[in-house]
Amino acid sequence: MGDVSALPLCALLFLACGIHAYSNFQSHLLTLPQNPVIEIGTNFTATCLISNTVEVTADDLYWKLSNVTIPRDQYRKVNSTALSVTVPITKDISEEWLFCYCRKKSSYVVLNEGKFIHGISLRTGYRPEKPENLSCISFQKEDKSFPSLQCSWGTTRRQTPTVPVHFTLKVMQVLSNQTSSTTTKDHWAEVKLSPYPFHMELEVWVEAVNQLGAAESVHLRKEAQHFVKTNPPEVTVTSEKSFPTSLLLNWTPPVNQVCVKLTYQIRFCSPKSPGWSHVPLPDINDQTNFRLQGLRAYTPYTVQVRCRDVENLHGYWSDWSQNITTTTPEDKPSSTPDLWRTVVYNGTSERLVQIICKDPEFPNGRITRFDVKVEKQRDRAWNQSGGWKSVLVNRSEAEEGETSLTLLEQISLSNLESVKVSVVAVNSLGRSPEASLILPVKLPDHARVEELKVWPHEGQLVVEWKPLRNKLLSGYVVEWLSDGRLDWRRVSKTSNRTLTGRLDPFVCYTVSVYPVFSRAIGKPVQMLAYVEQGAPLRGPTLKLNGKPGHNEAELVWEEIPLRDRRGFITNYTVFYKLGEEIREVPVPANSTSLKLESLMGDSQYEAWVQASTAAGSTNGSHHSFITMKYAAGTIEAISLGAGLVILLVFLLGIYKREFLVKRLWPRVPDGRQSSIGTWSPDCSMKAEPPKESCVSGISVLVSMCESQSGFEEDKASLSLRKDKYTSEEHSSGIGGSSCMSSPRQSVSDSDEGADMADTTASTVQYSSVVASSAYKGQTPGSQPQHSVFSRSESTQPLLDSEETVDMFVQEASGRFERLAPQDITCSEVFGPPDGEQLDCCQEADELQADGRTAPSSYMPQLGGYKPQ
Amino acid sequence: MIGLQFACEIEGRMNGHAKNMHLKKSMKSIATLLSFLLLMAVHSTRMVGASRNHPCRKTLQRTFKLAKVVQSEASELFIIYKASQGEGSEFLCTAPVNNIPDPNISGLEASERISSIYTHLQSFIPHLKRVYEQQTDLQLPTSPMLPKLLGVSANSRNLALSINDFYHRAFPNLPLPEPAGGPTTLPPPLNVFQQKVYGCMVLKTYKEFTSNVSKEFKSFRGKVCRRRMKTNALF
Repeated sequence: MGDVSALPLCALLFLACGIHAYSNFQSHLLTLPQNPVIEIGTNFTATCLISNTVEVTADDLYWKLSNVTIPRDQYRKVNSTALSVTVPITKDISEEWLFCYCRKKSSYVVLNEGKFIHGISLRTGYRPEKPENLSCISFQKEDKSFPSLQCSWGTTRRQTPTVPVHFTLKVMQVLSNQTSSTTTKDHWAEVKLSPYPFHMELEVWVEAVNQLGAAESVHLRKEAQHFVKTNPPEVTVTSEKSFPTSLLLNWTPPVNQVCVKLTYQIRFCSPKSPGWSHVPLPDINDQTNFRLQGLRAYTPYTVQVRCRDVENLHGYWSDWSQNITTTTPEDKPSSTPDLWRTVVYNGTSERLVQIICKDPEFPNGRITRFDVKVEKQRDRAWNQSGGWKSVLVNRSEAEEGETSLTLLEQISLSNLESVKVSVVAVNSLGRSPEASLILPVKLPDHARVEELKVWPHEGQLVVEWKPLRNKLLSGYVVEWLSDGRLDWRRVSKTSNRTLTGRLDPFVCYTVSVYPVFSRAIGKPVQMLAYVEQGAPLRGPTLKLNGKPGHNEAELVWEEIPLRDRRGFITNYTVFYKLGEEIREVPVPANSTSLKLESLMGDSQYEAWVQASTAAGSTNGSHHSFITMKYAAGTIEAISLGAGLVILLVFLLGIYKREFLVKRLWPRVPDGRQSSIGTWSPDCSMKAEPPKESCVSGISVLVSMCESQSGFEEDKASLSLRKDKYTSEEHSSGIGGSSCMSSPRQSVSDSDEGADMADTTASTVQYSSVVASSAYKGQTPGSQPQHSVFSRSESTQPLLDSEETVDMFVQEASGRFERLAPQDITCSEVFGPPDGEQLDCCQEADELQADGRTAPSSYMPQLGGYKPQ
Repeated sequence: MIGLQFACEIEGRMNGHAKNMHLKKSMKSIATLLSFLLLMAVHSTRMVGASRNHPCRKTLQRTFKLAKVVQSEASELFIIYKASQGEGSEFLCTAPVNNIPDPNISGLEASERISSIYTHLQSFIPHLKRVYEQQTDLQLPTSPMLPKLLGVSANSRNLALSINDFYHRAFPNLPLPEPAGGPTTLPPPLNVFQQKVYGCMVLKTYKEFTSNVSKEFKSFRGKVCRRRMKTNALF
């Protein structure tokens, strides 16, 4: 209970203290005016007043604008307790503060510093300007009402955010002095007016107001109906059969005529007209119907109507009404069909003539058929051969509106025949006037148009020529042909220029101008033309003419097909590229080949051709070729030289045969006839077939020499293993000993090293032991054994052929002499140089001659791995 | 004149024989010039008179147009009213209702007839207001009749203002009398049917009245706002 009662007491005490503190905190300075709004461009004067203290005087005061001290010359001492300052306001300094400070530092001032500062915030801005260009409009709504008046105006927008301008749109009914208004910050506003006060005078104006002043626009004073913009009228168009060249328009005014008297504007167009045609305003006035006359029969017309207040010439036109399209009724054709022909001269005495025609300019309906009559001239009179012939026209509705050609007749005429063709177009209501064309025996070439010029203009071609002076001239026919599509236009004889009509861009047209005489058609003058040129669709396809030479190549290309050309080719540019270097050669448009010279021999070139038109260029496909290594004749010269050398060698071989044989195949002594042969106890002195033991030592040497010569197929394997042979590490310790070892025994292949634990990784020691008694034991043990221990440390793989060679040698040692001198180059492959090879053989000879070697038997030792 | 005299003097010095001839010619041309100036002055005075009188005719024209607007709207309103009253609406307007202003215009002079129009119109406006109040209770708020009724009332007030303006322009020295007998007498509270009948009769009568007003103003064209022109013409 005590706590509850204490709370309000504390609150009251706190409030009392606060009030006391507030009353105690009374600033001794006061700046006037408070919250000023200052116009930019004026001087602002503020005054600082000292109150309730004698501690300071006006001399102790100073001013600061934000943080900048204002110079004293802008101060004015009003009295001892008031100091004013004048600040020129040249720009928007809104939200800046103007402070009045005291500079005296007495103890009272220092202790009560807050009481000796006073500031005001400044708001600067511009006076509102008079709103200009006030205009008002009242839009009609869907429900036909005019609920409001919208007005807009303009200003220079010179205002600041702190002093904004508010606009008030005021609309006053003059008679009643009743004013409606809307206030906005924008430059437009809307005032509700319900009901809309038709025929009552309204006064409209805008007031621009801010804290610095007000300005008013001019007052618009008009009757209310002059502000309206109505909806467009609702239009109906009626086509009446009895009036094929007119349409009846009726429309409903969008607003009651008693409210706003409207005037109307009508415009119409047909697909063939270039744009809208407007009916003159005085012809319509305030009627609500109108008959369009002088139209083309059987032509769709689109009609639009709009309206505005008739009494206000500067009133607002409504939008145009929606398109109403109605076709005028059908009528019989009122103009002749446009008759023309194409002639193909086939080089014989006959010509193929196609009679073609276009629908009449005024078909006034759907052309259902053409009636054609062909008459041949005999004795200066036209003889009708077959009467009128009907050509039915069957077109879809889509084709109906387009200009379409009809092939009427195809006649094969001799050059001596003259023909007159007559045509009539027929629709459902009647026949057109008759058109005729005379195809004379020979075209008169005495009169051709001259100075034909053709140039493009807005999607069409302008054709101009020098007019002919000929009494019989009845006009001209300008014909343009492209890609089998033909069209033409008849031009009167007084004209010398015409337009072709819209043509396709990038298509080449052959434009011809024919003079037409009363009884004949003259010879044409032709010219090619484009409405618009573009870069070729594709470039020329390049190829080589023949084979490229050592430093030249001839390039040829075909002309781009006309359809892909899309313009006149102005020139070609041939590009050829070697590596990264690209060179180009310009070629005139009439050329389709180029001989490139100064090329590098044995080089690959890439070439392409760029075709250019006035509108751009396109590259053709790339073609690569390689120039010859040798110029023509070089090969022949070399071949001839080589042939001569071979011939010389051959002749030398014939004449120096003995010498060469001696040099190449030195004589090897026959072991059987040597003294060691007779000495060996194991060897029979008889002429026995040689045993392997007897010749084994020699056969090794032979086989070494044979290893290459005899088995050429092993060259491949040799070459594959060449790296091993040439390895120094694997070279045999005893030259040529590899020949003596069996392949299986002597294989020291690192590939197999893992399996062969007993051997070193890179070296296999193998040997052939030639022992006279150790093998067969045929020689008594007392006999000192002479053995040759051939040891080889070679990793070189043993060729399969080696075994074969060994076997072969073993089997056919009798043929030794024949086999021995074969290939001198084997030593180059296997081991020592030629000399050594020869030494090797000599050593063998020597050994045999010394008799120290007694190879009683030769069994290839399996490298010591297999016991024998 | 000075120029002419100077020319004559020169010519007299140059050729004394032809002096009389030239003088006659000069006098003739001066007379022609003076006649032309006189005509111009008369014409300009007429123009001034016409232009002075232009606001009156303009106001007449505007009032006539506004009367036609009110007539057109009153006709439409009557049709809409009948359509919105449900079955038997064709019989609503057959019952007699008292205190509805007379649709006919009285008076012999144009000023009297215009003042009659004005007073009748002023009398109708409270009745239209009463009908609106009754129909607001009887119709749905979305009924198109209610805004139409409001529109007719507003335009009737505008028409009254316009007639007032026109009257003061056409007859500046004649005061426009206010409705005789004080404020318009409105009917006492009625039941729904009676309200419908009352509304129907008011609108029907008002339609007739506005039709008469239009005809009357059409007849004023060419009669009123001509007095000053005649005065000018006499001058």
